[in-house]
Amino acid sequence: MENIRIENLTFSYPTSKDKKSLDNVSLKTDKGEYIVLCGKSGSGKTTLLRHLKTVLTPHGERTGEIYFNGSALKDVDSREQSAKIGFVMQNPDDQIVTDKVWDELAFGLESLGCDRKTMRSRVAEMACYFGIQDWFHRDVAALSGGQKQLLNLASIMAMQPEVLILDEPTSQLDPIAASDFLNTVRKINTELGTTVIITEHRLEDIFPYADRAIVMDSGKIIADDKPAKIGRLLYEQNNPMFAAMPTPVRVFYNAGSRGSCPLTVRDGRAWLDKELDAEPKIKEIPCKNIDDKAENPALSLKELWFRYEKNTPDILRGVSLEIPSGSIFAIVGGNGAGKSTMLKAICGICKPYRGKIKVFGKSSDKFKSGELFRNCVSMLPQDPKSLFVKKTVREELEEMTRDKNKISEIAETCQIAELFDSHPYDLSGGEQQKTALAKVLLTEPKILLLDEPTKGMDSFFKETFAAILNNLKSQGITILMVSHDVEFCAKYADRVSMFFDGQVLTTDTPQNFFGGNSFYTTSANRMSRHIFTNAVTAENVVELYCKNKGETV
Amino acid sequence: MKQDAFSKLHPAVNLLFFIGAICLGVLLQHPVYLLAGIFASGAYYLLLNGRKAIKNILLMIPLFMFITLFNPIVNTRGVTVLFTYFDRPYTLEALVYGVAVAATFVLMLLWFGCYGKVLTGDKFTCLFGNLAPSLSLLLVMVFRMIPNLLQKAKQIIGVRSSIGKGTSEKSSLKDKLQSGMTVIGVLTSWALEGSITTSDSMRSRGYGTSKRTSFTVYRVTKFDLVLTAVMLVLLGAVIGFAANGGMNAEFLPERNITPIKGVNIIGFIAYFVYLMIPTLLQITEVIQWKISESKI
Repeated sequence: MENIRIENLTFSYPTSKDKKSLDNVSLKTDKGEYIVLCGKSGSGKTTLLRHLKTVLTPHGERTGEIYFNGSALKDVDSREQSAKIGFVMQNPDDQIVTDKVWDELAFGLESLGCDRKTMRSRVAEMACYFGIQDWFHRDVAALSGGQKQLLNLASIMAMQPEVLILDEPTSQLDPIAASDFLNTVRKINTELGTTVIITEHRLEDIFPYADRAIVMDSGKIIADDKPAKIGRLLYEQNNPMFAAMPTPVRVFYNAGSRGSCPLTVRDGRAWLDKELDAEPKIKEIPCKNIDDKAENPALSLKELWFRYEKNTPDILRGVSLEIPSGSIFAIVGGNGAGKSTMLKAICGICKPYRGKIKVFGKSSDKFKSGELFRNCVSMLPQDPKSLFVKKTVREELEEMTRDKNKISEIAETCQIAELFDSHPYDLSGGEQQKTALAKVLLTEPKILLLDEPTKGMDSFFKETFAAILNNLKSQGITILMVSHDVEFCAKYADRVSMFFDGQVLTTDTPQNFFGGNSFYTTSANRMSRHIFTNAVTAENVVELYCKNKGETV
Repeated sequence: MKQDAFSKLHPAVNLLFFIGAICLGVLLQHPVYLLAGIFASGAYYLLLNGRKAIKNILLMIPLFMFITLFNPIVNTRGVTVLFTYFDRPYTLEALVYGVAVAATFVLMLLWFGCYGKVLTGDKFTCLFGNLAPSLSLLLVMVFRMIPNLLQKAKQIIGVRSSIGKGTSEKSSLKDKLQSGMTVIGVLTSWALEGSITTSDSMRSRGYGTSKRTSFTVYRVTKFDLVLTAVMLVLLGAVIGFAANGGMNAEFLPERNITPIKGVNIIGFIAYFVYLMIPTLLQITEVIQWKISESKI
């Protein structure tokens, strides 16, 4: 049965009249469908989703019509829309209104004027279904990001909506919380039959389960089909969106296969089994082993111990690490393991109570105030917004230096020259990240620290960002990043370390590191580890696959 | 967080208690009553805050001393002159009155300290949510915003110092002020940005579409009713005796303090028992728990 129907929707924002944000979009959803909407950032996904709810619809010029259950959406009264169409946004924090979990759960019901008895049972129901009962009485401030987003979802589900719209709900979450959240969304769809429309960067977790995938590019729908078919379409069109497809899909098509495409790691393994012998001739990507001792390390940490307060447990429990100069060094590890704290310790924001930090062989205490940050160490924070203090990007950069040449040079490196007159808050997430990076680079650091640099980035932008990092590396800058993003680290880092229990454990090349892990590793590795020993990226798998095929054929 | 026995009761009972305790605390200037008040409020404050309370209570001592000694300087009434300075008398009566004023002040600090711990934001909304749903929601949002902003400020200061834009003890006052202003500027735009999302989230959940109701997790139990009755009886007794002059205390120009004896003792006991209700409830709960534990 038809649920939402969009007919020839065209829309442009008042600020950019000549550019259509939505261009003749037509779309139909049936009740109970699970639809994933993908596309580059700035392709109009959010604009489209916001049109599905009158109160959120942006201002601008619009033609075309939207129908909800057969009647024009603008004629459906706002009370009914509030209850029947749920909308989850990106930022978990700002969506929350009240200070207690139970209060927030009831917010929608309170607005609709439910009586206390109904509310009590609905809230109880929701708390049980979403597993919230353990933190039902907590303050919202005490929740983790994943819990906050789950609370936002539960609070909307309490109104029993027919359609659930999610706009990049997991972009601010770590991978474990993100996949928990997406599983809950899937559960809602399968168990309650709620129609789900979701935009997401992390397609690996959604693609296999979605009924339909819709691809958007500059305001147009360029593909609308079953997920299994979308991959082929994008591959044949040589669309950059192909890079965002799940690993098995990319390997499948890049290896030149045709036919029914595997979507999950499980199917990918089966496909490899079918195609290759159990013991293929070439099992390894050639890679050199690294020697443990780096000569003249750019940065060395020795036995750092740190805790935030006297009576709290230690966060850093003897961190030792040596970063060779001129490399990209990645540290991966779970949430709250202390990775960010370690970066703060290097910057002197946290003072370890034991241990030594040496920057280019010089103990960090011996740097005079501010000297450490002059041409030496600089950190790109997790939230680029926290760096912005001025009204335009130009002023932002001028805060760091007066040297015009240097500014334009850095702007060139970071590809932000055309953004100079925009307000930093008006930029997209990726552009903000680039601007923040430019600002940080203006201190001319020799060591660049990155805290979760890929959070919220789409897969194209990750490639651009990686190119910038490689460029910096070739200029001799040492880069240390901490990240959840194993795929990114596997692809671009020179060395990877595991952070666990307040310590840095093994350090190795990405091939050896992820090749040796069986759970905490990339999906390319999980897909191929039964055949290849150290293929950790989709490119690695394709390379080995082709080599083997080339010989056998 | 584990709550004490009194905090677990219905918010209305909590509120009634504090209204009684605070009003009587202001009205009754009798030294014995003040002493009883400080004892009861101090005990409950300790119970609520644990170890941290000791430090706070110790901090109140210099404040108490200051108010006491300062009062005779502004107030020169009283018949017993202790000494004169610049031709102004420093009188014993004014000093004693200073003690009473200081004690009242400390008493209020303690009661309000307890009030803040017991009547949290959500209890407040529960009480007034149905009367003024929008106003109480506004208050809840404001209360949530303050710690949020403080946390963000800390984050920004950290981030700025990690690109060499921070301040240290050695920075000049001008630098410090300037960096403070920058942080405040960022916080403002951040808060505005966030409030757009918040208002979207509110409207998309139907805020303003119908008359708002208010949800609460608190329910009135039989015990709440019984305790309210007890509290009202005790309050009635105290007010009755007070109206008959059983608790009068005058300090200026002459000390005239009604002694507590005979039938007035009942008034005092009523007052003291009333104030000790929260502490006694908690003690009873602990004892009951110990007894049932020992039976296992």
